[in-house]
Amino acid sequence: MKKSMRRSAIVVCAAASALGLAAGPSTAVPSTVWTVTPSPSSFDAVNVGNIVLTATIPMTCTTSTADGVMNSATGNPGDVADIDTMNFGASGSPCTSVLGNVTTTSVTPWDVIAVDYNASTGVTKGHVGNVTANVTAGACKFTVSGKASATYTNSSGVLAVNSTAGELTVSNPVNCGAIVTVNTKPTFKGNYAVTESGTGAIPTIVGSNP
Amino acid sequence: MKVHRTAAPRPPRVRTTSIAAFVVLAALIPTTASATGPQEIEAELPYVCALPSGQQPATVRISADFPQRADKGEAFTPDGVTTTVELPEAAVADLVARDAAEVRPATRLAVGVAQNEATATATWRGSAEPAALPASGPLTLTTTGDVPSVAGQSDGDLTFTAGALALDLALGAADPAATGPGSLTVDCVLAEDAPKEGLLATVPVGAQTPGASASPSPSGPAGTPSAPADEAPERQGDRSPKLVEPAPGTAPDRDDVPPCRYDEQHPPTDVSLNAYVTGYANVKKLKGAAYLPPSCVLIEQGLPEMGPPDPEYLIFDTLSWANFHYQERKQTPPFKATFLSFDFAPVTATMVLEQTDVIRIDSRMKMSMIDFTTVTDTYVRAPVVLHVLDLEVNGTPLDVGPECRTETSLVSEDPDPQTFPGDHLVLYGRGEQILGEPATGYLLLSGGVLSGKATIPAFTGCGNGVEDLDRLLTASVSGPDNYIKQVQGQTCAIAAPVFPSPTNEGQCTEDLQPYEIPAAER
Repeated sequence: MKKSMRRSAIVVCAAASALGLAAGPSTAVPSTVWTVTPSPSSFDAVNVGNIVLTATIPMTCTTSTADGVMNSATGNPGDVADIDTMNFGASGSPCTSVLGNVTTTSVTPWDVIAVDYNASTGVTKGHVGNVTANVTAGACKFTVSGKASATYTNSSGVLAVNSTAGELTVSNPVNCGAIVTVNTKPTFKGNYAVTESGTGAIPTIVGSNP
Repeated sequence: MKVHRTAAPRPPRVRTTSIAAFVVLAALIPTTASATGPQEIEAELPYVCALPSGQQPATVRISADFPQRADKGEAFTPDGVTTTVELPEAAVADLVARDAAEVRPATRLAVGVAQNEATATATWRGSAEPAALPASGPLTLTTTGDVPSVAGQSDGDLTFTAGALALDLALGAADPAATGPGSLTVDCVLAEDAPKEGLLATVPVGAQTPGASASPSPSGPAGTPSAPADEAPERQGDRSPKLVEPAPGTAPDRDDVPPCRYDEQHPPTDVSLNAYVTGYANVKKLKGAAYLPPSCVLIEQGLPEMGPPDPEYLIFDTLSWANFHYQERKQTPPFKATFLSFDFAPVTATMVLEQTDVIRIDSRMKMSMIDFTTVTDTYVRAPVVLHVLDLEVNGTPLDVGPECRTETSLVSEDPDPQTFPGDHLVLYGRGEQILGEPATGYLLLSGGVLSGKATIPAFTGCGNGVEDLDRLLTASVSGPDNYIKQVQGQTCAIAAPVFPSPTNEGQCTEDLQPYEIPAAER
């Protein structure tokens, strides 16, 4: 099932790329070999700045963390990392909105999908895929699914998530009234500093087409 | 007389509830008795019985379970009633003289029930299986039976006093073939030296009743512990959570706040929330503030609806409803406040806020279409009267009576009186969020500070019928511009509970009570 989802993501990501979401000029030939250093390696990710999830109204998380495993990969797009844990908020620092505190429970694993690599900037463009999260705010409950466009910068180790409307969808909204419906187009925006677990080293992703 | 509370629990007795309701003083209201543990009564009383051979002394022991207290109009049934009559050996001789070998006893005990000036008499009936007459020694007959329920219709101690006892004895012949010896009724009266004139138990009725002794005599048989005569049964106030104000800025312990959970009488829906709210209410005339301890509020969260169209804002309106929840009543727990009345006399009042109607919560969320700053304004409209339970002036208790309340709800100036007429308290809170920043201020789900001003109306019903305290309270307390500041804690959503974990701020305890107990702020 995961494979089929990834296949469908190919089309979406290709479309996103065609819309010019890359930070810099794309390589003339799409990368098919994705070299992650070190690989395989466990990674940790911590938010840099606040994370903003929006479902009609914005929700701010001052704390968000993730961890998982990075791997070199082949093909385009390339699945370069599995996110095994994805937390929004923490005890003492819940995510907040003007509805009230919001609790997000991620259904993992999520993926980090590489689509395009810019050798001059060291930036890989792609998305965070296989996103599924159950969100509650009081009696209001709904599920967010889909993907979120993202870039990874080798020099800083920052995974910048910047989804566009339509990439994520809402399902099963309950007791949310007019604020969150199946027509709501959520977004997920924020930066994460990624480091290798244990060493704190910044991993790199390099795309090539030998 | 030997009357005492037993120290050791009696073995359980399986009894059926009397279907006969004894209506005392007014109509019976068939509700359950107080939920607290019963006061167990074991009374030993001297009687004089008219036997065929003449007047003979007898000892009657009566045991029963009474509630510690009851509410006005609340019916209860003394449970586990057992009557034991010990007749002297002469009585056995009287029965043997009638050719009896066994006896099936039944008892009819007249029990005087009194409250204030009102009195009535209940008959406690008991029966037993036949028992053989002893060859020698006294005759001891033990009966059990159901007794009528009782409801006190006003506030005050409800007393139960043993009176005349009729002993119906169905006699069995030693020779079954012989003509039956028939039956015999022995009338017994309470001996003149019976202490406390046969008082069995006192059940305080209503919130204002003074504590009363469960046992009218401190004396008891040797080696049997007895309760002191002045040991007061647990009162409602005693069962209430401690009313001690915690240190400023700190929340009380969970043990010190009343429970806050849905139950069979208040089943939750899928939009049910609960939360604690606490704070201070100024009494301007007395130049002081009353600490309101954490009160449980049960909330039905409304569904946001699109608000009126606005070119600059996206607007959602949400209407929610709430009720205080304290011991199945829509009120706060009792709270105590001490003020200096007229600048010199310390006045200590114990009060509750009682709802006269459901609490309405209107929230309007406005999101700027320009910078996505979002603001939520919430108005809580609570029709609540202030009910004074107890009052002490300069250390002297004043009997305010059971119905000492403000004439109407506390009254605030409503920002929209056309839409929301009538007397009610209005508290307001605002939540705000700048895009990318955490939300701040009051939000219904996560709580925060609500504040407002209220006029305290005149008091009515205060006094014991002799002394009218309405004017005293109205003159010293009632008036406008009393600032109220309440802090609501994080709600617990029953259908979507969030329990504390390293990754989640706790919202609910495991038994679905609010996780957060807020601290009051001045």
